[in-house]
Amino acid sequence: MNDAGLDMTTSSKTRDLARRLLAYEAVAGKTSGLEEAATLRVYEKLRQSLGEFVGIAGFQSLAFRALTQAKSEAPGLWAVRLATDGSLQGLGEFQPQPEEFEPQLGSGKDQTSEGGAALIARLLGLLLIFLGEALTLSLLRNAWPDEVFDDRNSTHGRNA
Amino acid sequence: MSIQEKVTINKLSTGVPGLDEIVGGGLPEFSFNIIAGAPGSGKTTLAHQFVFANATPERPALYFTVLGESAIKMLRYQQQYTFFDPAKLPGSIRFINLSQVVLEKDLGAVLEQITREVEKSNPAVVVVDSFRTMVRKPQSDMDLQSFIQRLALFLASWQATTFLIGEYAEDELRDNPIFTVADGLFWLRQTTERNSIVRKLQIVKLRGQDSVPGLHTFRITDAGVQAFSRTFGLTARKRNPPSDRRLCFGIPELDKMLDGGVREGDSVLVAGSSGTGKSVLATQFIAEGVRHGEPGIVAVFEERPEAYAERATSLGLDLETPQKDGKLTILYLRPLDLSVDETMHSILDAVQKIGAKRLVIDSLAGFEMALSPGFRADFRESLYRMIFALTGIGVTILSTVEVDESFTEFPFSTYSISFLTDDIIRLRYVSIDGQLRKIMVVIKMRGGNHAKDIREYEITSKGVVILGKRLTDYQGLISGVPVHSDPSDPEEES
Repeated sequence: MNDAGLDMTTSSKTRDLARRLLAYEAVAGKTSGLEEAATLRVYEKLRQSLGEFVGIAGFQSLAFRALTQAKSEAPGLWAVRLATDGSLQGLGEFQPQPEEFEPQLGSGKDQTSEGGAALIARLLGLLLIFLGEALTLSLLRNAWPDEVFDDRNSTHGRNA
Repeated sequence: MSIQEKVTINKLSTGVPGLDEIVGGGLPEFSFNIIAGAPGSGKTTLAHQFVFANATPERPALYFTVLGESAIKMLRYQQQYTFFDPAKLPGSIRFINLSQVVLEKDLGAVLEQITREVEKSNPAVVVVDSFRTMVRKPQSDMDLQSFIQRLALFLASWQATTFLIGEYAEDELRDNPIFTVADGLFWLRQTTERNSIVRKLQIVKLRGQDSVPGLHTFRITDAGVQAFSRTFGLTARKRNPPSDRRLCFGIPELDKMLDGGVREGDSVLVAGSSGTGKSVLATQFIAEGVRHGEPGIVAVFEERPEAYAERATSLGLDLETPQKDGKLTILYLRPLDLSVDETMHSILDAVQKIGAKRLVIDSLAGFEMALSPGFRADFRESLYRMIFALTGIGVTILSTVEVDESFTEFPFSTYSISFLTDDIIRLRYVSIDGQLRKIMVVIKMRGGNHAKDIREYEITSKGVVILGKRLTDYQGLISGVPVHSDPSDPEEES
């Protein structure tokens, strides 16, 4: 396995990894076209995996921070909220945007897709900050198969 | 029941350097242990070292966190230690947070969740951190006792070696049922003495095997906890029988005074005031050993190894080549907050690494000053233990000690350590014929017929050189202000 594709030291690479996780879950869950379902699957896996060792409250804190950050870059997430157990609610629901947000270009599908990637990338980014790359990847590898982390599946890897 | 029929208790490595020796070779497998101590005393780090040393994918470790330090921050900090291997998570080591069940339910539910996780993973190691926070809610004594009893029985049945971590005070030892149930009790203490932190570890209890009693110094470095046994790991080694072999200084007249040299395995003290040549004598002793193929260690506290070797070069002694050849190590031991046991472990490690036969400690005063103030009270006792241990395996030790020059008495040492030494060589200044000269006398030599002569010596470019014959024309030489035996001597009159 080539670990070059696992470099998460830049936010673009973290975003790339988030997209790979989403793409994997879209196929695995046969949810192509239902971006919110893939996001939920990735999120739930992270919630189960991280919640085990940081606790529900610990995960909820991290997820809340990630969601707040993600909302600032993906207003399509405006309606998304966290339940007390850390689960996501409101993803994919149509919600009128508040006035303070600029109207977004692109379809609702694009916005949902970008919102999901932003949320997952932010969550991974926080893990990276707190746990470091090695431990974060070790935890991710436990939840997803190695092929997800294969460099050849990386946007960066393909572009290189 | 014959010896062969006794059950064998496997000993697991603690993963903590020095601790295996303290606990008698390793931690008994399937034991139920408590790590107790104040916040910041290293309890979690010690448990992590054990976990990382013993967890495997087949027999993983379950690390239950409860309330207290957030698990994510604990991992953030713990991974700074060199023993932390991220690849072991979560395959070999699983961290499981029990906060929710502890906060919302009772001890029965906590036990149920632990049981579920243990049955799922079949762990070799189970840690609960902190157990204290798990049972903080008001419980009846019976509930608590029953919970601990059931937990201990369950984990033992599942063949797990267990650590419960808790912030306990020593006065709880009598009343808390946890200490009765536990097979092993590790108590970590941390105290401030003057400006220094002193960390000590005690094995209060360990069922099934002998541990080294007493308080052992430990340190927390980037490698984690490192413990220093009070017995330096040498108690189990058989003492060598006394040797008749003599080790020379390479100073012919002095070797004659010593009846051929100091006896192998002796502890020699060279005492004298500043500038009398104690270090020169020590350097000649170590260089002569190297010349005869006897590896040596010089522990210096007052000058850098480079300076020590340069000074030797000025005396025509090459200490550079044997260092490169691995026959000589010059240890510079002067960090802050050094504990006496750590210093001695550094010396012992060096001795064992190169198979040293001669050891120079230059000087005892520098050694004491290098120690954290809190450890100075233990200096004599620790020195005694080290000298006893090292000479027992045949290492010959020469220590230098500075004594205040007095013209009314003739002290050997300010440390009252002459009982630690087999041989004492005393150097001192004397006023003779209007000159400040130097004399040397062998005060004591255990089991040897040493010369009683008082000899004058000089320090030359060849080191210590003993002059002429014994000084017979003066009386009161050891007072430092002798008088000529023959008052009519013209030199005396002038």
